Amino acid sequence: MLHWKTRSRLTGWVLGTVMGLFLLYQWLPMLVLGLLSFAGPTGGTTFPMNGVSLHWYRELWDASIMNDFKPPLLRSFMLALACSLTTVVLSVTAAQAVRGQFRGHNLFFYLLLLGIMAPGILVGFGFALMMRMLGIDPSWDTTAYITHVSWTLPFGFLTMLAVFNRFDPRLEEAALTLGASRLTTFRRITLPIVLPGVIGAGLFGFSLSYDEYPRSLFTTGADLTLPLAVMAQLDRQLTPELYAIGTTTTVFSFLAIGVFTFAFWALRRRVQPR
Amino acid sequence: MSTIRIRSAAAFWLAVPAGTWMLAAVVVPTLLILWVSFWGGRAFSASSPLTFDNYIRFFSNASYLRLVGSTFLQAATLMAICGTLGYCIAYFLVCKVTNGRWRTALFLAFIIPFWTSTLIRAIAWVPFLGVNGVINQALMGMGLTSRPIEVFLYSMTGVTMAQVSLYTMLAAGPVVYMLASIPPALREAAMTLKAPPVTVFRRIVFPLTLPGVVIGQVLVFLNVMADFATVATIGGNKYALLGNLVLNFYEGSQLRFAAVAAVLLMGCMLAGVVLALRVVDIRKLGAR
Repeated sequence: MLHWKTRSRLTGWVLGTVMGLFLLYQWLPMLVLGLLSFAGPTGGTTFPMNGVSLHWYRELWDASIMNDFKPPLLRSFMLALACSLTTVVLSVTAAQAVRGQFRGHNLFFYLLLLGIMAPGILVGFGFALMMRMLGIDPSWDTTAYITHVSWTLPFGFLTMLAVFNRFDPRLEEAALTLGASRLTTFRRITLPIVLPGVIGAGLFGFSLSYDEYPRSLFTTGADLTLPLAVMAQLDRQLTPELYAIGTTTTVFSFLAIGVFTFAFWALRRRVQPR
Repeated sequence: MSTIRIRSAAAFWLAVPAGTWMLAAVVVPTLLILWVSFWGGRAFSASSPLTFDNYIRFFSNASYLRLVGSTFLQAATLMAICGTLGYCIAYFLVCKVTNGRWRTALFLAFIIPFWTSTLIRAIAWVPFLGVNGVINQALMGMGLTSRPIEVFLYSMTGVTMAQVSLYTMLAAGPVVYMLASIPPALREAAMTLKAPPVTVFRRIVFPLTLPGVVIGQVLVFLNVMADFATVATIGGNKYALLGNLVLNFYEGSQLRFAAVAAVLLMGCMLAGVVLALRVVDIRKLGAR
């Protein structure tokens, strides 16, 4: 029997290996996707690579009408931005409302949680049925927008609830005791303190909507968003161009996360100077 | 005293926009699916008579029932793999990595793919799994096989491989949270009382992380049950789970059958969530 310290160290090594292998497992496909997107003009979709070029990115840039990814990209971006803003506003009001413990706030909590629990395929399909009954044509900027927010809002709401759970109400009490109105206190004291959480809610709104596929599939009509366009292209033909758009949108996601994280960090520093 | 008065009208009205939105976009559509699944006749109209015919026809088709079974099997497989793998990773991150910088770096490396498109990550598996794919070339290069193995792309093995990489994070996240909130003094006390590490884990650590495990399992279950995109991308059109069935019926304009399949999906998921909510109280997790 080994000493327990040796055994503990051994466990650490085994688990560390599992973690390392899993990270490799998770990252390797994405890195290969990125690598293959730089294949030469005759490049296939698997190894070995035939030359190195920016051919497929150029193809992406001056694409034909058939597989032009620029309009879908723009649509996805605008939609994500709209969802982000809506999520921020609605999740702050909803979390503030729950703090007020109105009658039925427990039910309200579960209603919002339902948005996370209900799978996209059900929400999308049900909403498409509803629109068909009402005789409304689906479109990316109306019906898709409504279903996307029903997906992003609960994440923002939970973020805000967690933030308010850790929030020190004495700060508000101090302002109110000094004669500030509730609205002023909220604007000048509460909001600046919870702003990092608000940024987090905004990030959820943006990235979840930008990548959303199942809800869009049922509620987007003829003008496709980016995930739909990518999927349509995959159905038609698998070319390295698809890898190029995959790499581009992944880099774009990273940039968006970077911007939000930087804003988060900068605000943290401003609120808690140390 | 806070910026909002307890049980005030203002609190109620602040909740109305978000509540209405969720009712209109989630609750009403879901109930509508339930209603449509009972529609008889042929026309798409609210005046259709209500019958059980759609369900009877669905359940009398053995291949649909097999499909429901394989959906459950797939969910159970993923829950087992992701649960085990996720717990190992979470335990390693929280308990074994003592260096703060390393922990942050590993955590980021683990969590960043989660913020990118699931669809792109599923597509990224395609060049890996094909007959000329990376895995086959590596296997042949090592001399393990002389001919490419064709079981990866367009097979459930490939789908499972991709789903493991997509959903392990969902199983690990809640466990990381629960592990991190265990006070170190608790384990130290047990160690001082001469409990061997295995006993500490079995009697103290694991029971305390159980809510995290349950939530992780629910998340994996829900996602695999509803995942049709990965199956479509990697399984080609050869394989289908319950979600694909909903989509296929929908695209074939068989809305009643699509609704029946969707109701089944909903029923399975609801049962899973209710079961899990009996075990843990999600509301208490965010509070300190």
